[in-house]
Amino acid sequence: MHNNTTYSPKAFDIKKITSTKSFSAFTAALLAIFLGIVFGFIVMFAASPANAASGFLMLLSGGFRRLGDVFYFATPILMTGLAVGFAFKMGLFNIGASGQYTMGMYFALYVGFMWDMPDSIHWVACVIAGMIGGMLWGFIPGIFKALLNVNEVITSIMFNYIGMYLVDMLIQGNGTMYVATKTRTAYLPASAQIPSLGIKNSNVNVSIYIAIVLAIILQIVLRKTIFGYELQATGYNRHASTYAGMNGKKNIIVTMMIAGAAAGLGGAFAILAPSTIAGSSMTYEPINIIAANGFNGIAVALLGNSSPIGIIFSAIFISHIQRGGTLASLYGYKPEIIDIVIAVIIYFSAFSMLMNAALARFIKKRRKHESDNPDANRESTSDAEVNTVSGPDSEVSTPDSDVITPDSEATTPDSDVSTPVSDASGDSVQNDTKEGE
Amino acid sequence: MKRLFAFLLAVMLVCTMFAGCGNAKGGKGDGYEIALITDKGNIDDKSFNQGSWEGVVAFAEENKITHKYYKPEEASDAGYLAAIDLAVEGGAKVVVTPGFLFEVPIFEAQTRYPDVKFILLDGAPHNSDYSVFETKENVASIMYSEEESGYLAGYAAVKDGMTKLGFMGGMAVPAVRAFGYGYLQGAEDAAKELGLADGSVSVIYHYTGNFEENDTNKATAKTMYQQGTEVIFACGGAVGKSVMAAASEAGKKVIGVDVDQRYDSETVITSATKGLKASVYQVLEAIYKTNKWSDYAGKTTYFSAANNGVGLPTEVIGDPNGNAFDRFDKFTKEEYDAIFAKLVDGSVDPIREIDIADPDGNATAEELVNGLKLQKVTVTVR
Amino acid sequence: MEDYIIEMLNITKEFPGIVANDNITLRLKRGEIHALLGENGAGKSTLMSVLFGLYQAEKGEIRKNGQTVNIKNPNDANALGIGMVHQHFKLVENFTVLENIILGVEPCKFGFLQKKKAREKVMELSEQYGLKVNPDDVIEKITVGMQQRVEILKMLFRDNEILIFDEPTAVLTPQEIDELMDIMRGFAKEGKSILFITHKLNEIMAVADRCTVLWKGKCIGTVNIKDTTKEELSRMMVGRDVNFSVDKEEAKPGDVVLSVRNLTVPSRTHKKNAVNNVSFDVRAGEIVCIAGIDGNGQTELVSAITGLEKASGGTITLCGKDITKANIRTRSKTGMSHIPEDRQKHGLILDYTLEQNLVLQRYWEPEFQNHGFIKREPIRAYADKLIGQYDVRSGQGPETIVRSMSGGNQQKAIIAREIDKKHELLVAVQPTRGLDVGAIEYIHKQIVADRDAGKGILLVSLELDEVMNVSDRILVMYEGEIVGELDPDKTDVQELGLYMSGAKRNLAKENEHAQ
Repeated sequence: MHNNTTYSPKAFDIKKITSTKSFSAFTAALLAIFLGIVFGFIVMFAASPANAASGFLMLLSGGFRRLGDVFYFATPILMTGLAVGFAFKMGLFNIGASGQYTMGMYFALYVGFMWDMPDSIHWVACVIAGMIGGMLWGFIPGIFKALLNVNEVITSIMFNYIGMYLVDMLIQGNGTMYVATKTRTAYLPASAQIPSLGIKNSNVNVSIYIAIVLAIILQIVLRKTIFGYELQATGYNRHASTYAGMNGKKNIIVTMMIAGAAAGLGGAFAILAPSTIAGSSMTYEPINIIAANGFNGIAVALLGNSSPIGIIFSAIFISHIQRGGTLASLYGYKPEIIDIVIAVIIYFSAFSMLMNAALARFIKKRRKHESDNPDANRESTSDAEVNTVSGPDSEVSTPDSDVITPDSEATTPDSDVSTPVSDASGDSVQNDTKEGE
Repeated sequence: MKRLFAFLLAVMLVCTMFAGCGNAKGGKGDGYEIALITDKGNIDDKSFNQGSWEGVVAFAEENKITHKYYKPEEASDAGYLAAIDLAVEGGAKVVVTPGFLFEVPIFEAQTRYPDVKFILLDGAPHNSDYSVFETKENVASIMYSEEESGYLAGYAAVKDGMTKLGFMGGMAVPAVRAFGYGYLQGAEDAAKELGLADGSVSVIYHYTGNFEENDTNKATAKTMYQQGTEVIFACGGAVGKSVMAAASEAGKKVIGVDVDQRYDSETVITSATKGLKASVYQVLEAIYKTNKWSDYAGKTTYFSAANNGVGLPTEVIGDPNGNAFDRFDKFTKEEYDAIFAKLVDGSVDPIREIDIADPDGNATAEELVNGLKLQKVTVTVR
Repeated sequence: MEDYIIEMLNITKEFPGIVANDNITLRLKRGEIHALLGENGAGKSTLMSVLFGLYQAEKGEIRKNGQTVNIKNPNDANALGIGMVHQHFKLVENFTVLENIILGVEPCKFGFLQKKKAREKVMELSEQYGLKVNPDDVIEKITVGMQQRVEILKMLFRDNEILIFDEPTAVLTPQEIDELMDIMRGFAKEGKSILFITHKLNEIMAVADRCTVLWKGKCIGTVNIKDTTKEELSRMMVGRDVNFSVDKEEAKPGDVVLSVRNLTVPSRTHKKNAVNNVSFDVRAGEIVCIAGIDGNGQTELVSAITGLEKASGGTITLCGKDITKANIRTRSKTGMSHIPEDRQKHGLILDYTLEQNLVLQRYWEPEFQNHGFIKREPIRAYADKLIGQYDVRSGQGPETIVRSMSGGNQQKAIIAREIDKKHELLVAVQPTRGLDVGAIEYIHKQIVADRDAGKGILLVSLELDEVMNVSDRILVMYEGEIVGELDPDKTDVQELGLYMSGAKRNLAKENEHAQ
């Protein structure tokens, strides 16, 4: 037992803070955002050096002038972010948030147009209908994955298209909902619109509260319930969850339904938003385009490290940058340039995984230098060594079982196998052992 | 780390690519006096956005006025209104809004910004439930005499030697009807000039009932081509794409609508266009130079051949020496100029509206023949 | 002076934490079949990987025909005429035999494949060495034995003169093995030199000229097969070090806890049954050890018992209840605890905390949950109790992320969890794999204590010391069958080795299943 050394108080502190996962995820996200901002600035500078500083300042701070809109536009991507992130916790890549979002829109629209209900509950019924629509569209890939082991990425991508074309077709075929001369849906009755928060010139409505509450509920589900325990266990290590006798199939289906419900709610929140213009509303135009908010959800989830609470902040952050970007166009930037800047920032933000690994390596290196312990030195190089050893043979892997268990000091980065980054983490070692058998 | 470095390098490359694209004119202090709000598409949509933006650019650059376009954050009435808010905040004195999607937002904005002038193309401000139509003194609602544009198209087709024509409108809304009626009248007049016998030109006249690109529309167009139709005037937004697809399969021709659609398909011989660029230019000129804003303010103005508001395309974009009439067999620029002059001087004045029994505006063949006094042209409605 | 074609002199290759090859010297004569013998982890594959350029040795040199050579990658090895048939074939499944053989050395003329020429050469080679293949068959459609021939033809096509076979018989049927032996003899006759990695003594005795034995990374020696016996080889293979003994009382076996009858489990990798018609009992208060060389069906046997894999025939009875088709949770509730073979793959969720891992088998019990909500305090208390009782050491106690713990402590956590859980049967698969001496001793003590508490223990081990010292009864598995039942007090390592390598059996084959 070589690992039971006592730590000096200082080393212990650093370790304690940096080794908490949420800390490293948070730092990584900040680092990612920072890098994104730097590159965003470079793009703006390249486009128009004279206005870059003031324009960029507006891009960063402009959102504060339009808080209502920041929250308004954050709502749908918060929900699709939850749809992606929650499934991700179980190791499922729900790329079908777009389809679920569109189905949510349709169900909400249908109830909004076709059902006559008392004013006070009409919008609630629409929202619930949207949730059911999305849930249905998450349930099907879930069933396919659980019972037939069809990769959920394939199914849900296909269901993006099926959902989109289906909804377009259903809407065009419905005379009450669709106004053919305008090639879009009619204005929703006021009773079906979500109550506004009454902020001037903004559509922000109570759905942002609902979205935040739902995120908190999902966080509680993940952290405090047996279901969340099983779900994350499956996400981290499918084999171990099988070993522990968890019902993987049921959990996959339930997770996909919850994810779908979140995306469906996002669609409902988006389409049921009130309008600043009396009598007007959002409209759906069936033009065979997959809802972009579903994919934005992936960026939101990645930036939020798939944690529901993190997703609240990342959705608001992305919306903030977008609103600021719109204002920054006042400084002479074409909307397309601003789009590029925002895309660069979001794109970089999605690299928080990479940052996470880089950060962990950096901290590790620092500690290696601090430490005089030759043991620790040797073992901290082990990761790199072992990676090259993905040999086909059985015997080399036997020493691995020693290697995987370096010193207790090692702050191991995030475990998501799907990112290329994890090459550097212990996972690859696991693969080696597996191959060796 | 290596991967990160490679990525940074890629970003640098992208940056340098965009280095030339900056708009170096002035900061926020100066503001942008003429603003255009795009509708759902991009600025280079080869349609309303692009056509009207060209008018803005042409005028503003000649007169050194700052100008800029804004993209709404959201394609909704509220989103358009917010974009107008932004444009006004950005110093806009004149806001150009292309398309009927802006009717409701402009209705709101005209009250909110009484000092800002709005040019609403192809629409008239009204509230969301159509109960109030009001065009205030700071708004110019611009409409187009579609019948003249359609007339030129029909005239050109028959003059070019075609006798079996087709018309595919979206829905029987006023603008589409006007295009169709003009088309029939133009064909009639051309046949007369050519001295053709009565009934020697046949037209299949059809409303698709939607503005979509879909298989039904394509199949309809295909059937029409198979029945011998030589050219179809596709007059209904995305319906045109279906018709073009059918035409390229059948090796037949299409006449485009609204904007010059020759760039969309080789099959498009010409287009019955609305003079977006010209009309925007003229209204801006009235505001800034000739002080004739009152000619447009507070009402709907129809742009016709007389003020270059409609016509067939006479230029090829990006090719100053290009011949916009190269896809015709016989019809020439000279013939076009002659008939255009007649529209300008009023010696030819196509009928815009006729009485239709059907409440939805779907005309019967008889109504068309009688209402438009057709002799040379026979009409089949399908 | 002998005519050595390849000499590996004083090769030392270290991996972090372990010396895989320690000063090993191996000399291969021209035209001989040279066996390389050793247990799992003895360093055979590492040594061959060094020769084949997959690894670089820290110390030592490699000579070919007396000239020092530098082999940096497999291409260098190929250029020197060294070819290798890997244990897991490296073939393109949807290519034909011919395409696989010429892959990488395609004969080209002006950029066009010269398949005809290649085909002639392949046919010539296959004729010459009796390697009958159809060059147009697609790899995924032919048998494993045929695939191996393709691998061999690949080496011949490249005109390799030094042929390395890494455990070539593991996946073959007895008939195929005989044919392979003939082919190898043919090669030797043609002047090619063969290195033959194995741990099956019978095969070595049958075909090899000389044999080098490795043990725990060290070279024990090279012997002429003519001058040696199976027993001697076996003794060399398992080592002569002093065994540390485990203090334990005489077992007092009670009722039957686990009863396995005619169990058959199909293999995932080849068409043979991995476990073939196996029957045995485990009684309360005894440690039954399944011994055998890795890959003889132990993993599959345990997987079927624990429910990770489905059996295709036979029954499993636990505490009187038929659990053959039961799910894992039911087995666990019926009284099975399981220390899995791969603790990181199956046993732990590395990114969970220690306390979360300690309740992995029990989180659903009313003690730890209330209407689906986790009860935090009882879990913490329970974790603290186990951590204290089993001396699981970690940086931050119950909150430690398990990934950051040492292997020994990870294993202790699993053992604490599985032994403390209510159970009648403990299935422990290689519980001491990769651990240091202290941890091994501790784990053995715990297992014996569990036995003394009246539980039945099914121990699967590849370590002969462990088998001899811990168990009360030994069942030897060979090629998916139990070939011997031994009393550890009445046998020795040498005899055990003979059983394990299939040289001896004391249980008759119950019935020979057709493949």
